Amino acid sequence: MSKLSFFIRRTGQLFVTLWAVATALFMLFRLMPGDPTAYVISPQMSPEVRRQIIASYGLNDPLHVQYVRYIQNLVTLNLGRSFHSNQPVTEVVANYLPNTLVLMLSALVLAYTVGVTLGVLTGWYRGSQFEKTAVVTALVGRSVPSFWVGVIFLWIFGAWLGIAPMSGMTSMGTAPSGFLDMILSVDFLVHLFGPMVVLAFYYMGYPLLIMRNSMLEVLADDFIDVCRAKGLSERTIMFRHAARNAMLPVLTAAAIAIGFAVGGSVLIETVFAWPGIGREMIRAVLRRDYPVAQGTFLVLASAVVFMNFIADLLYGILDPRVTYD
Amino acid sequence: MSDDDEASRRRFLKATATAGALGMTGLAGCGGQQSTPTEGGGGGTETPTDSGGDGDTETETGMSMGDPLPEYLYLNNPPNYNPARHDAINLISERLNELGFNVNVQVFEWGTLYTRASQEYDYSFTTWNRGLGVDPGRRMPEMFHSSNTDPGGGNFTGYVNEDLDPVLMEQLQLTDVSERTDLLFQIQETINTDVPMHPIVQMPNLVAYNNQQVSGWVDHLAGYYHFQPQTSIEVDNSDNALRGSWSETLGTLNVLGYNNETKLIHQFEMLYDKLVRVNNNLEADPSMSLATDWSRPDNQTVTYTIRDGHQWHDGETLDAGDVKFTLEYIKENEVPLYSTQWQQIDSVERDGNQITVNFNNPLGPVHTLFSNQIPIVPQHIWQDRSDPNNANITEPVGSGPLMFDYWDQGSELGLVKNDNHWNTVNYDSRVWRIIPETSTNWELLLEGDLNYLPFSRIGRQLSQNSQEESISVQQTSGDGWWHFSQNTRLDGLSDPEVRRAAVNAIPKTAISDQILYGYPRPGWNLIGESFGQFSNPDVPTYEESLEAAQSRLEEAGYVFGDDGTIHFPAN
Repeated sequence: MSKLSFFIRRTGQLFVTLWAVATALFMLFRLMPGDPTAYVISPQMSPEVRRQIIASYGLNDPLHVQYVRYIQNLVTLNLGRSFHSNQPVTEVVANYLPNTLVLMLSALVLAYTVGVTLGVLTGWYRGSQFEKTAVVTALVGRSVPSFWVGVIFLWIFGAWLGIAPMSGMTSMGTAPSGFLDMILSVDFLVHLFGPMVVLAFYYMGYPLLIMRNSMLEVLADDFIDVCRAKGLSERTIMFRHAARNAMLPVLTAAAIAIGFAVGGSVLIETVFAWPGIGREMIRAVLRRDYPVAQGTFLVLASAVVFMNFIADLLYGILDPRVTYD
Repeated sequence: MSDDDEASRRRFLKATATAGALGMTGLAGCGGQQSTPTEGGGGGTETPTDSGGDGDTETETGMSMGDPLPEYLYLNNPPNYNPARHDAINLISERLNELGFNVNVQVFEWGTLYTRASQEYDYSFTTWNRGLGVDPGRRMPEMFHSSNTDPGGGNFTGYVNEDLDPVLMEQLQLTDVSERTDLLFQIQETINTDVPMHPIVQMPNLVAYNNQQVSGWVDHLAGYYHFQPQTSIEVDNSDNALRGSWSETLGTLNVLGYNNETKLIHQFEMLYDKLVRVNNNLEADPSMSLATDWSRPDNQTVTYTIRDGHQWHDGETLDAGDVKFTLEYIKENEVPLYSTQWQQIDSVERDGNQITVNFNNPLGPVHTLFSNQIPIVPQHIWQDRSDPNNANITEPVGSGPLMFDYWDQGSELGLVKNDNHWNTVNYDSRVWRIIPETSTNWELLLEGDLNYLPFSRIGRQLSQNSQEESISVQQTSGDGWWHFSQNTRLDGLSDPEVRRAAVNAIPKTAISDQILYGYPRPGWNLIGESFGQFSNPDVPTYEESLEAAQSRLEEAGYVFGDDGTIHFPAN
C-alpha cells in the first residue's frame, strides 16, 4: 500500500471515529440520570415558562430528532449554546481552551525535555545510583496524585514562603488587555511556573521510563559496538546514535499526550484556580449542560484522534522500516 | 446501640404500645375521625384507620394492629455536593428508624434528586435549602396551594388544604400590612400544624471577612450582597478595593438572560438600579431606590416618580422612558426570569418623570413582589436586542453604584465605583476572583489578598478560621432554611399525626450545633424571626424527642410492633 492510500484510508477512519465519538457522547449524556433543566430553571418561573425553556432547548423533541439536529449542527461546526449561560459553545471553548493549552503544552515541553534527557542518561548508566534515583522519582511522580503535589506546592511556596502566587493566571486586580499581552507578561510567567512544574513532574515519568527502556534495547544492538570500535566518544554515541534511534516510541507517546492535553487537567486547574477547559468540562457534566459537555468532550476526542493520526503518519516518515501493509 | 439498650427499648415500646391501645380504643369510638387539634388543617385528610391494611396482626402482648408503615425513601445529596446536609439527612433517617419508621436513604446527584422530588414525586422525605426572598408570602402559594400539585408546580409535597387556598392568594393582594400579617400568621399556624414542610434549621446569612481591611457591615435579610450592606462597608487597603471570590465561573453578564444564580445576583445588584429597594427593616426606602416617591391610587395601580439627573454608566441620561421601556420590553419578550413580574403587568404609562403601572390583578406588597425585582436597563442599548434571553453581553451598562471595568472570563470580574450615583460605595473598586479551592480562599483571606468571602459555606473551615485574629464573621438571620418535606400523597405520611411525629424525631439541635457548628438556630417556622412583624411567634413547636413522637403516634392509634416498627391501627 502506498503512502497516499494509507493517508486516504486513515483519513476515512478518522471521520468514522469522530462520528462514532459524537454519537456516543450524545447517547451518554442523555443516558445519565438527572434533568438538565433542574440546573437552569429558577423556582421563580411559572410552569408555562419552564415548558417554554425546555422547548427552546429542544429537549422535548424525540431523541432521534435531537440526534439528527445535533449531527447537522456538528457538520457546520455549530456546537449549540450553553444551557447554563446561553453562550455559544464555540465561544466557551475559545475562552478556555487557550488557557489550557498554554499550561499543558508548556508543562509537556518541560516534562518531555527533562524526561527524555533523564531517560537517555538512566538507560546509559544502567545499574547506577543515578538510575535508581531517577526511576524511583519518575514512579513517584506518576503515582502521587498531582492535586496533592499541587496543594503541597502551594502550601510550601505560596502560603509558607510566600514566593509563589496561589491562584489564577495573573495577579488580582490586573486587567489583561488581551491573551497575547497576558501570556507575554512576567506576571503570567510567575503564575504559570507552579502549575507547570507540578504537571511536568507528573508527566515527566512517562517519557523517562519509555526512553530508558528504548535506550536499553538500542544499546544492546550491534551498531553501538561498531560506534565504539570507530572510536566515537561516549557522548556522541549516547545522544547522536543511541538516543535518536530510541526516540520513536517517545514521539508517539508525545503526540498522544498533546491530544489529551486539550482536555486539560481538572485537578491542577482547580487547585491553582487556572481557568482552563478541564474545569468547565467537568462543571458542564455536573450541571447537565449537554451542549457544553458534548462540545468540549468532542474537541478533546477530536484532538486525541487527530494526534493519533499524526503519530501514525510520523511513524512512517521517521522510520523507513515501517511499511503500510 | 448495644443489645441491652435494644432490649430495654423494646420493653419500653411494648409497654407504651399497651398504653397506646387504650388510647386507640377511645379513638375508634370517634368513628375514625382525627382527634387532633389540627382537624381544620386538612393537609392529608386521610385518617389513620383509612390507611391501615387488611392484614391485622397482634403484638406479643396481644395488641391488635394493622400493617406496618410502608418503607419510605429519603433522598440525599452526595457528600461532596453538600457534606453537612448529607450528614444531617443520614442523622434524621437514623432517628426516624429509631422511632420505628422504615426509612431507606438513597443518594442522588442534585438534578436527579430535584426531578424525583419536584416532578416525579418519587420520594417520601426530601431536604435542601430553600428561601423566601424579601417577601414572606411570595412563595407560599407556590409551595402550598392545592392548584400547584402538578409536576413542576412547586407544591411537591402534595399538600391540599382547601381552607387555606384562598388565604394563600388573598395575602398577596392586600395592601394593608396588618391585615396581610393576620393572614400570614394564619398560614404559618396551619403549615406548622400540618407540617407538609418544616424547617430543620433556620439558615443564617453570613459573610467572613478580613477585619483589618473591611468594616461597617450592616445586616440585611437578603444577604450581604444587597445594596445596603455593600454601600455601607468601608475598605482600608492600599488600593481601596473590596476583593472577594467565588468557586464557580460567571457564565454570562446578561441581566435579562441568566438563571437567577446567586453569584450573578451579587453582581447585578450593584450594576443596576431597581425602582424600589427595601431596607433591612423590610421597608421601601427611597434613599436606595431609583424612584424617589411612589403612590398607590388603588391595589391594581402604582405610580413611581423617577429620580432626576441620574445617568447610565456610559454617560447617557436615565429617565422615565428607560423605566417604561424596561417593563414593556420584559413583557414583550416574555423574559423567563421575570415572568412572575411581567405576567402581572397590564400596561405602563409615562407622564413626565412619572411612571404608572397598571396590574392585571390586585397586588398587595407591590415593592417586595414587583418594584425591587426588576433591574432597569438602558433603552438606547437594549432596544436593538431582539432576543434578550440569548444576548451575549460581555460589557454590561447599568446605572448602579458599581460600573463594569473588565471581565476576564473564568478568572476575574472587576467593577469600579460609579461616582455619579446618588448613593456611592465607600471603596474604589470591587474584584471577584474565581477560586474553586476552599483552602486557597481561606489562605488568601488570612493574608489579606482577599478581604471578604461572599459565599462562606458553613463548615469546619469557617469555624476554625473564624478563631483567627484577622477574621470576623458577620451573621444575621436569613430568609431560608433546610426544609424537611414529606410526601403527603403516601400512606402514613398522608396523616398529619405521622408527619408531626416525624418532625418530633428530627434532631434539630444536634444538626445545628454539631453538623453546622452552631451557626444556624434550630428550625421552628418557615417565616422566621428575620421577617420581623410577619413572623408568627406562636406557631406550634415540636419537642425534639422520640418519646414525644411515640406518644403522639400512640395517641393517634398507631401501634408499635414487637420489633419496634410502627403499624397502622387495626381496622
